[in-house]
Amino acid sequence: MKTIYAIALGVLIALSIIAHAIQPRRQMHGKLLLTWTSDDNPARREQIDLFNRLHPQYELRLDPGNVGMEKVIVQSLAGVGPELFDCYSHAQLTAFVKAGVAWDVSALYEKHGMKVEDIWSVVHPNFIYEGKPYGHPTNAATDAIWFNKKLFRENGVPYPQGDWTWEEFIETAKRLTKMGPDGRPEYFGYLSNRVEWYPMIRQFGGRLYTEDGTRCAMNSPECIRAIQLMQDLIYKYEVMPGPNQEAAMAAAGGWGSGVITLFGGGKGAMTHGGRWWLCLLRQYEDLDLGVTEMPHGPKKVFWGYGRATLVNRLSPYREQAFDFIRFEHERPYNELINHQADALAPVIRYCTGEKFLHDPEFPKEDYNQTWYDVMDFGEPIESSPFIDGREAQRIIDVQMDLVRTNAKSAAEACRDIAKKIDREIMKRLEEEPALRMRWERLTGKRAAA
Amino acid sequence: MRGYAKRRLADLGVALLFLLPNITGFVVFTAGPVIFSLVVSFSNWNLQQTVPLRWVGFGNYLEMFQTEEFWLYFVNTGYLMLAMPISIAGSLVLAMLLSQKIRGTVVYRTLYYLPSFTSGVALLILWKALYNPEFGPVNAAIGWVLNDLHVNDLARLVLGHGIQPPEWLQSTRNLVGVQTEHVKFGAASWGIGAKDAIMFMGIWMGIGGGNMLLYLAGLSNIPQDLYDAAEVDGASRWQIFRNVTWPCLAPTTFFIVVMSFIGGLQGGFEQARVMTAGGPAGTTTTLAYYIYTRAFEQFQMGYASAVSWVLFAIIFTITLVNWRLGGKQVAE
Repeated sequence: MKTIYAIALGVLIALSIIAHAIQPRRQMHGKLLLTWTSDDNPARREQIDLFNRLHPQYELRLDPGNVGMEKVIVQSLAGVGPELFDCYSHAQLTAFVKAGVAWDVSALYEKHGMKVEDIWSVVHPNFIYEGKPYGHPTNAATDAIWFNKKLFRENGVPYPQGDWTWEEFIETAKRLTKMGPDGRPEYFGYLSNRVEWYPMIRQFGGRLYTEDGTRCAMNSPECIRAIQLMQDLIYKYEVMPGPNQEAAMAAAGGWGSGVITLFGGGKGAMTHGGRWWLCLLRQYEDLDLGVTEMPHGPKKVFWGYGRATLVNRLSPYREQAFDFIRFEHERPYNELINHQADALAPVIRYCTGEKFLHDPEFPKEDYNQTWYDVMDFGEPIESSPFIDGREAQRIIDVQMDLVRTNAKSAAEACRDIAKKIDREIMKRLEEEPALRMRWERLTGKRAAA
Repeated sequence: MRGYAKRRLADLGVALLFLLPNITGFVVFTAGPVIFSLVVSFSNWNLQQTVPLRWVGFGNYLEMFQTEEFWLYFVNTGYLMLAMPISIAGSLVLAMLLSQKIRGTVVYRTLYYLPSFTSGVALLILWKALYNPEFGPVNAAIGWVLNDLHVNDLARLVLGHGIQPPEWLQSTRNLVGVQTEHVKFGAASWGIGAKDAIMFMGIWMGIGGGNMLLYLAGLSNIPQDLYDAAEVDGASRWQIFRNVTWPCLAPTTFFIVVMSFIGGLQGGFEQARVMTAGGPAGTTTTLAYYIYTRAFEQFQMGYASAVSWVLFAIIFTITLVNWRLGGKQVAE
């Protein structure tokens, strides 16, 4: 028995030694291994190849298997996180910063002469927290209307020239919906998997939070009017897809790709999306595309967004990882993003000039100026320091689901959003004394749960 | 005598050494986290450095019981379990059919067991496509019945309006009429929606799965003599089932019921994660998915741990009651 035990122990020790010996080394062939947790797509691979070529001292590797805020935070806190990871919203950035995972790189920005003012403002909330940068955007975007010129021509409808209202848009969309002999639409005037509620409330003069962020402002008449229009577009005017149509479209692929595929296949005359859609739309060689700005309400505000790369504060190689952040600020990376059409390059100055406006490899793409112009009206979703953005989003999502399914009126939903978010704010103030003091200073009131 | 004791002690040492890897794994990966989660449930731990770590006593538990959300998701969990009896009965019927001596039984058994060894995520995606309200085959079939068989014409005549096919995963309605935002019933919430879609899918997945195999094993263990004796006595097929098969399967049924309760209370996570993200408007969020979202999306580890422990207490109590009541009846 003892012999068996001794052999088993010996085998275990030997296996442990082998495992230790073959574990991935940080230094491989004289290069430092850096890991970037991001989605796996051909564009990303090309970006990594360019970085590795320009920085031969590093071997940057993609880790698509661990994408997701929860994974990044847990792994980083356990000491096995990546050097670089993606951030899609201010809510995520807040979570990364508060978890102590994101690294404040403001000193390095200054040292290398990098300025956040050079970067599109729509994506600032995704990497700047309380005035300090924690990384750099990988791209930036503001949604606009893609339109299929062929379908416009066939129906004798003039191409949209931008600066149009929802009423004008509705009329155009109606004229471009063609029914087949079986009574089902052959193609839709407008194809979308979701109307973004946020730019709509801003277009009507509403806000998600009061200016100081101490209270939710969704119960204002402006917000209610905007959300009511959103509901009407689905159920009254029937030019926007309801939840059923959204589901039908989404079934054709992952997020957004269902609509892109349908639009590419000529099933819609118009749709809304970002320049990054070209990554897929370029595959449809016969598609005659145009781009114009989104319709607007009393104000012109569109949805601006982007993705950022953050540096892991807990990585022993964070200084080296910053070289990737610098790379994202430089010309080769920015020109590659524009060429790939992975939205727009993050640095504004690289989104101008002939090379950007008329890429010789894609001569049909004569609408890049529009993508540049709409950036001025792009606005990212507001945030408040007094509530976790993910919690606010969850509350809003539930109510928007009810509005979209016509199970609740816009007014009721807006009132409930405000009530629930305000209650969460109060709860949060109880948890964080520093936040409570700040809230009380701003409002001049005592916070009561 | 002393030599014997010494040998026993040495053997114990060897036994413990052999058990050590397993015990270590159990302590580090199971017992440790379980105890840790209990401790965490009394704290406000949320992975955020800006929130000072505090001992909140039963604060998380109190908050949970006062939050309507918890009760809504508890009701959702219970709702999805309503299909349990149908699923168990279906497994029994299927097992009885497959235990017949017919040609190709092995093929049939394999086919019916298919859902159990197919990837769960793949099945859920498939069902999501089936339930697609515009292009899904389920609504296509319903549409055919309603329109081509003129059921809708009849409905217009009787009800004054036609019948629309269900919106399945996009609808907050349900067969019981549970409201979306409050633990109340209302006619406006009545219909067929996401909860029902998941429940129907659960029946399909449950019938041909492990329960069917357990019943097959149980049926094969019933002595043939009992059936022969019953037939000699002139018992009908129903009487044979009622007085021979059913009592002999009681231990199997008891085991299946207990395991189904446990599985049901812990269930709904995959469906919510893959098919609905817990929506629309939280109608398919179960306690398991609620724990996940609170812990790994909102990082409220303390609160999520408290929900986990309450879920454990519910499961433990129900299992105990099942054991006490059901076990006694099985023994009889």
